[in-house]
Amino acid sequence: MKISYEWLGDFVDLGGVSPKEAAEVLTRLGIEVESLNVIDLSQIIVGKVIEQKKHPKSRNPLWVHQVDIGGRTEQIIAGADNAVPGSLVPVALPGTTVPNGKLVKDLNIAGFSAKGMLCSAEELLLGDDHSGILILDSGKPGDSLTTVIPSQATMDVEVTSNRPDCTGHLGVARELAAGVDRPMKVDFMPAFTGKAEPAGRDLVKVTIDDSDLCSRYIGGVITGVKVGNSPDWLQRRLRACGVRPINNIVDITNYVLLEYAQPLHAFDRAKLSGGEVHVRRARAGEKLLCLDGVERELTPEMLVIADADKPVAIAGVIGGEETAVTDTTTDMLLEAATFNGPSVRQTARAFGLRTEASARFEKGLPAELALAGARRAAALIVELAGGAVHREWADVYPRPQEPVRIRLKPWLVDEVLGIHVPLEDSEAILVRLGFHVRVLGDGEWDVLPPVFRLDVSIPEDLVEEVGRVWGYDRVPPTLPGRQRDRWTPSTPSMGRRLDAARQVLAGAGFTETWNPALVSGRVLEQLRVGARALRVSNALSDDMDTLRTSLLPSLVNVVALNRDRGRSDVKVYEIATVFLARVGDKTTQQPEEPQRLGVVADAGATAESGRAAFYAMKSVLDACISELGAPPCTFQRASAELFHPGRCAAVFQDARQLGYLGEIHPSVVTGANLEGRLVAMEIDVEPVLAAASAVRARPLPRFPAIERDLAVVVEEHVAAGALLAAIKEAGRDVLENTRPFDEYRGAQVPDGSKSVAFALTFRSPERTLTDAEVDNVMVEIKLALEKKHGARFRE
Amino acid sequence: MSNPQELTQEALAAIARAQTEAEVAAIEVDYLRRKNGRLSSLLSEIGKLPPEERAALGQAANEAKRAIEAALAAKRQELEEARLADIAETEAIDITFPGPPLGRGHLHVLTQVQRQIETVLESMGYQVELGPEVETEWYNFEALNIPPGHPARENWDSFYFTPDLLLRAHTSPVQIRAMQRIKEPPIYIITPGRCYRRDAPEATRLPYFSQVEGLAVDKALTVGDMKGTLLYMIQSLYGEERKVRVRPSYFPFTEPSFEFDVTCGICAGAGCKSCRHKGWLEVGGCGMVHPQVLRNGGIDPTKWNGYAWGFGIERMAMLKHDVEDIRLFYESDLRFLEQF
Repeated sequence: MKISYEWLGDFVDLGGVSPKEAAEVLTRLGIEVESLNVIDLSQIIVGKVIEQKKHPKSRNPLWVHQVDIGGRTEQIIAGADNAVPGSLVPVALPGTTVPNGKLVKDLNIAGFSAKGMLCSAEELLLGDDHSGILILDSGKPGDSLTTVIPSQATMDVEVTSNRPDCTGHLGVARELAAGVDRPMKVDFMPAFTGKAEPAGRDLVKVTIDDSDLCSRYIGGVITGVKVGNSPDWLQRRLRACGVRPINNIVDITNYVLLEYAQPLHAFDRAKLSGGEVHVRRARAGEKLLCLDGVERELTPEMLVIADADKPVAIAGVIGGEETAVTDTTTDMLLEAATFNGPSVRQTARAFGLRTEASARFEKGLPAELALAGARRAAALIVELAGGAVHREWADVYPRPQEPVRIRLKPWLVDEVLGIHVPLEDSEAILVRLGFHVRVLGDGEWDVLPPVFRLDVSIPEDLVEEVGRVWGYDRVPPTLPGRQRDRWTPSTPSMGRRLDAARQVLAGAGFTETWNPALVSGRVLEQLRVGARALRVSNALSDDMDTLRTSLLPSLVNVVALNRDRGRSDVKVYEIATVFLARVGDKTTQQPEEPQRLGVVADAGATAESGRAAFYAMKSVLDACISELGAPPCTFQRASAELFHPGRCAAVFQDARQLGYLGEIHPSVVTGANLEGRLVAMEIDVEPVLAAASAVRARPLPRFPAIERDLAVVVEEHVAAGALLAAIKEAGRDVLENTRPFDEYRGAQVPDGSKSVAFALTFRSPERTLTDAEVDNVMVEIKLALEKKHGARFRE
Repeated sequence: MSNPQELTQEALAAIARAQTEAEVAAIEVDYLRRKNGRLSSLLSEIGKLPPEERAALGQAANEAKRAIEAALAAKRQELEEARLADIAETEAIDITFPGPPLGRGHLHVLTQVQRQIETVLESMGYQVELGPEVETEWYNFEALNIPPGHPARENWDSFYFTPDLLLRAHTSPVQIRAMQRIKEPPIYIITPGRCYRRDAPEATRLPYFSQVEGLAVDKALTVGDMKGTLLYMIQSLYGEERKVRVRPSYFPFTEPSFEFDVTCGICAGAGCKSCRHKGWLEVGGCGMVHPQVLRNGGIDPTKWNGYAWGFGIERMAMLKHDVEDIRLFYESDLRFLEQF
């Protein structure tokens, strides 16, 4: 919201408080000034035009002026002709930079010297009028322009949603006054001066049909107004706040909105059918042509202002075109009402229309503000548009604002802040902010917040009021005391425990990614992993409308993105939550949120490179699991969505399935516009962490080992894992370790068979084994392999 | 046949002539080998000598052996020294040639920054707490003093699945869950995690982001304690020269409420282009926990009070590493991720 420094000066004496200082004070108080824009007029002086002649030689029309700038006369040339002799004008002498950035130079134009510039409103950033020189109402030649028009400073302030009273200059000024400890120049509630007959409430009958959505409606009647332009100062202030002047009546309603934060609306009373106002919900099918020229269809949950026949305004949002004040209006109805915040927000949202009025109503305005705003506007209208204010307005107030009383133990201030604020200072601060404080016999305070402060209701709110004015920079930093009789022992977080796996992955060349959890539901369905997906009911776009059920689609996309950007051999992973809707009658409950590790890597272009990458991925998984301190995984051939049907393993730890590892299905790869092969895994990490335990050191072997190799020829379908299990069983307690290290097909191996080579290590913890003993065990191993798997052996 | 003295002279001369370790080794074998070495051959005939000469020959042979061994050792040392003397030239390599790439991967910069934050706060006794990302209305809003229709709800425009289920807009629900679970203060926790708000993606914000919130519930905590905690955290992360200020603000779940700012790292608070001439950078929100929020967490506000704060991990990473566009964190371009 834009706040004019000059305007604040109406309410509080700003002598000696520069715009920058005011901005700092407000920010410290909690009204954040995001930017400060200063229009410095102090270098511009007032001049009086003595003579104006047309330039005789210039091709473009130019006028040569003799201008009295206080004690001397300068010759100044201008393109506009409105600065006739006698006019008071703003003059920028050579060397001055005018507010729009232009540097004024000493010029010679076709033989005529020009010693300066006469400024337009646009050049001084006082308006958008560039058609002529700005003519001043008053001023003394030679004086600074600031004697007529003060330097302009506008602040962009952010007002928190609990302080709608500060969405106007009066409220901001009150804060500033408290911050610099100066009195307010005006009272919150202006006097009411309406005397004209008959009583306003007899001229316009107001009824509130839906008092749940409107707690107060004031309809003020003013007759005999003369609609015209607003004076310059008012137009200037509106423009400084980003509001376009229209006519004096509309401008005054806007002006009071910017001042009191109370939205107002002016109706042409003659156009209100039946002289009636009804505050009611819209009826189905009703329409209203609004002030912005748009016809809007109304729905029954929207609150409208209606006359005897039809809606004339959408309550709190925008007025109707037909009943608006125009040049011919003489009698008007001034509306000052208090509408229900959520209702106004809903209506404004439904139309995608956020107005100055709706933005304020949304936050919930105090009903007392309506009266203050209406009185202020009535006074201004009489002053600037003439007319007579009628006595006794309609003021329908079905639910009067309840006064709030707060019992404050004033020492709470010290307890919460951690410093000592003298009681008299706390009290003075509250009083400056408009609170009424009464000290009770027991030392507690009975505090009555001002009527415009609906946000203050508990003692802690009062602590905040004192604290922000006293100054939080005066609270020294401390740390909580260490005297504790209870505590929770420290345990490493899940994220920190998983760092062990992250280190393994980094060492293996994998880079961690964080990908959005919201993905395209359509894509999940195409990939057939959408069955348990949760779909957002108010998505921003259809590529972010569903929570992912797997990390792998995101990671495949990461590969695609990086290939597009010239990378090959992409190896990436992510550790994150996936979301699985509960099934059966629990679908409306919170979903399961397993933490997953997903890994995807380039796997070359050939079946052979894919095979090698598969085994490499197993090594990565084994290393991660081992580094996490969990027991090793086992693998079973499986099929799963996203995976290659011949190259997919279910990963188990003990009896529990953790997930899958394998090549990505070729159709998924091509679906992501990728070539070649990808290998991947996705496992649940919580069970792995649950199964983890501290490493227990084994004693170092005391006796030598004997190594043997064994080449086992079996039919293709026999899995290495099965052979391994048979070898381990037959190797008994002297077989310390064995692993397959080669697979061979070709010479000496019949078609349809393969040769799997194993390295075996034999050792006894009790004695040195002899070759003969190991030979015997080898025979048993071979027998077992022959019997179980029809194996033969290559030498 | 020669005598030991002659043999010694002959051997020493050969050793003196030797140029390489191989020659030295050959001489050693030739003269000193037990079987058929020249010295042992000489001694093999010792039995034929009269007994009185045997001792003299034996002694002479031992002296010869010692002399030859000493000469061999000296020669070897001489050869080794000569070899080491010029390895500076003979074995020189181009030390400017780069090492081969290690092919190491990288931890995500947000993981790194999150861990740094956790490390600092864990050192102060805070514990990491986690919670669901799909939350109920009650935990995400009502428990935090944001009833339906509350104007502040606008700041947390959320993604809904059903009228009651939504993606959490902050990690504050975890604070409520932690209070309910732990029951009896002191409670010192931090709640890192992903959050979601219905904001269109742009350079400074995304509909998904990550937060770390902190909560302390204990006896007689003060605004000063909150400031000290934030200052300790910021200085630990960004350096001792940083200052922290709290500015009054508004959140429904804290009273009083603040925004907290950190002095700009570039101008040290003087004001520069990077901080839009403010001298301060906005980091997050904080405040003293609202009594109603404590009550909603099952904590008696007449016995205990607390402070809480929250900020975006992305924001902290942007400040620390001069990242200008928040979208880079979630775009997964390796050229970005590999910088950290």
